[in-house]
Amino acid sequence: MVAASHHRSRGCHRPRLWWALALFCLQSFTYAATAPSKEYALKAAFLFNFIQFVDWPDSAFPDPKAPFRIGVLGDDPFGGALEDITHGEEIKGRPLVIVRAQEITALADCQLVFFGKSENRRRALLQQLESHPVLTVGERDGFTRQGGVISFYTEGKKVRFEINPAAARRAGLKISSELLGLGKLTPDDRAKGDD
Amino acid sequence: MKIPSLDRGVRCLAKHSATLAFPCRLVAGFCFVGVAAAGAQSNASSFKKLSIQELMDVEITSVSRQVEKLNEAASAVQVVSGNDIRRSGATSFAEALRLAPNLQVAQVNASQWAISARGFNNVLANKLLVLVDGRTVYTPLYAGVYWDVQDSLMEDIDRIEVISGPGGTLWGANAVNGVINLISKSSADTQGLFAEAAFGSELERTGAIRYGGEIASNLHYRVYAKSTERDSTLSLDGSDAGDDWTMNQGGFRMDWDTTEADLLTLQGDLYQARPNPDGATAVHARGQNLLGRWTHRSSEKSDLQLQGYYDHTWRDFRNGFTEALTTWDFDGQHRFPLGDRHEIIWGLGARLMQHKVTNLELFRFEPARRDLSLYSAFIQDEVTLIEDRLHVIVGSKVEHNDFTGYEVQPSARIAWTPTDRQTVWAAVSRAVRTPARIDQDFVLKITPEIGLISGSHDFQSEKLLAEELGWRVQPSDTLSASLSVFYNRYYDLRTAEPGPPPFNLPITFGNGVEGWTAGAELALTWQCQPWWKIRGGYTRLKKDLSIKPGSQDLNNGTVESDDPENQIVLQSSLDLPCHISVDTVFRYMDRLPAPHVPSYIEADLNIAWRPVDQWEISVTGQNLLDARHPEFAPASPEPREVERGYYVKAGFRW
Repeated sequence: MVAASHHRSRGCHRPRLWWALALFCLQSFTYAATAPSKEYALKAAFLFNFIQFVDWPDSAFPDPKAPFRIGVLGDDPFGGALEDITHGEEIKGRPLVIVRAQEITALADCQLVFFGKSENRRRALLQQLESHPVLTVGERDGFTRQGGVISFYTEGKKVRFEINPAAARRAGLKISSELLGLGKLTPDDRAKGDD
Repeated sequence: MKIPSLDRGVRCLAKHSATLAFPCRLVAGFCFVGVAAAGAQSNASSFKKLSIQELMDVEITSVSRQVEKLNEAASAVQVVSGNDIRRSGATSFAEALRLAPNLQVAQVNASQWAISARGFNNVLANKLLVLVDGRTVYTPLYAGVYWDVQDSLMEDIDRIEVISGPGGTLWGANAVNGVINLISKSSADTQGLFAEAAFGSELERTGAIRYGGEIASNLHYRVYAKSTERDSTLSLDGSDAGDDWTMNQGGFRMDWDTTEADLLTLQGDLYQARPNPDGATAVHARGQNLLGRWTHRSSEKSDLQLQGYYDHTWRDFRNGFTEALTTWDFDGQHRFPLGDRHEIIWGLGARLMQHKVTNLELFRFEPARRDLSLYSAFIQDEVTLIEDRLHVIVGSKVEHNDFTGYEVQPSARIAWTPTDRQTVWAAVSRAVRTPARIDQDFVLKITPEIGLISGSHDFQSEKLLAEELGWRVQPSDTLSASLSVFYNRYYDLRTAEPGPPPFNLPITFGNGVEGWTAGAELALTWQCQPWWKIRGGYTRLKKDLSIKPGSQDLNNGTVESDDPENQIVLQSSLDLPCHISVDTVFRYMDRLPAPHVPSYIEADLNIAWRPVDQWEISVTGQNLLDARHPEFAPASPEPREVERGYYVKAGFRW
């Protein structure tokens, strides 16, 4: 095992060799299509379920046959999971449509807006949406506190959600007691007085 | 405005790689079993049939992907989550390691710790490899870790992975008995302001602040600072040992998802500490490090990672003896599938360590400055014999170091997953502890002419041949357990050999001890109620070392180690109404044989109240069962006793 006791530093030629090798390997990579992560497939299924536990006022839709629109604001983490879940489904006779946008104005006619993690203007946007019949769903800390209706969080390895009933009331949404029972209820900043 | 969903899928994968990044190597090696199955489960339409209650029972992959795969992992890896650490009331990296039941952790005095896995524990323990976010924390002075300068913001720790057993094939020399991997959260997960302050008896004062922000939607950062003052321990006569320890640390981390499949991470720390182990003159230590890492993830089974770091440490040991170490490390690894049955991971690494001491007249390292270079290459193949059921993992690392030249560290593992809920595995591995400077270059003299101790250039690597057998099982969704047993054969362990007559001086280091250790590690996690979790484990160790013919070891074949035969760690985490959580950690440590330290049982209690999301107030008691107790008796400095301690803490986040 003992080859020699002392080898002084041998210069830096070897790193260059493996750097070149690594670059070679990188170039040989192929981009493979990947399935959405399990976490977001699961969250997509949660969104689909939420819709069935919430009643929207008629004023939320432009006409009785208008589709139900789910908007994803900011970078979409779902991959194709939302399409997989909603494919061929109807909500109270309305077909489901998925809309993606970086600006909230493009989602003005949506009944549910999901705020991606990349969305960092949420406080201002939530104020903008306030008292519009929109179910806002987020997944960052403090989302419901800032006036969002539902926010995902994880507990251990499981997905949980919290609900801000005051925000739902302001939006004119009726959340079923069953859903309220499954989520953690949180007050929001401006509801502290009346809750 | 519809954006093609294909890229998006890759993007969230890249986001996960923030936490998958460096542990990949660990996971790559040990946990690959069953990755294919995970992909299949991600099919969204399978969730469509589930009720919302059922959805709440589904476990997600994301951050805890490795944890989930642990069930199938073919090694004795145990994970302590950041949450377990925070809830326990641990206030330092070393205290957090007490929660890993497969580690032996003993507090020696206020600032020094003896930490090892599978035996050979000592203040200068040298058979454990410790990494902080992929950066090796190690001094080539004695091949060990200065625990008194290892700290981080407890809030930002994602998890600590502790592998007991050899990891030389992937991790290289010094991963003889185990590997500790501290992984901090991605900066995307530590956004906003966090501040905490604590006051108490042993933890006298600590304050920490962190701010995390977003420069662009795919570029996050955080900066943090932490300052801690700790009270001294007690001398054996009960008087104050005067060994109080202060440490200040700050740093940053940035994570940039440059494209859907690429993640760039840049992080660095700066610290300064004044531990005072002998209670007379404080040691002065400081350091800084900077690490960059690029992870390219092209599919579930294929990724490339390049990492480089700079690490500088400086320490004044009192009396003018100082040590300065500058490490440059570059490392690359690549994983890819080969055909249907093979998954290859290979990597190359180069490290340059510029190690320099200022010698004293009688206490010297010759030469004072040594530039140590280390080159390594490894390759490992995971072969699928039966899809999702039977895997064989073979590989080896080849390393070249300046002390002993080439070292080979192969291993072979087999993992059998008879049902989705259990894995049986077995492994044979070889690992080495390459010489440190103390082994070859150290000189301690009585007078300038007469040497007392002298390192030896004939000192070889210490070698291990390990056989392991393990079983991981998850009988129900709420209970998981693992058992591993091992038989380790050691060769050429360090001895202190008397010199030539008439005075038998100088004493030199030899490789005169061989022997075996055997033991078992049992770990379990039980979520007995949604509001009550119990985790912990039992570890047993038997050791039989003997002096080889021709050796006259002055340490009587102890290899300067002192290990308990039995130990138990249990953590209970209770969530009570009104946002109150109560955590209790019990530790039983068997007696240490020589020098003798009595067995002890200790308990820590942490009660936290979170009246609103932004505030948390907690009261913590540590080592509650005795007013004071010893945990380790080093040869130097004087043995100390650890006192019962209390602190109150307030935390604020926004």
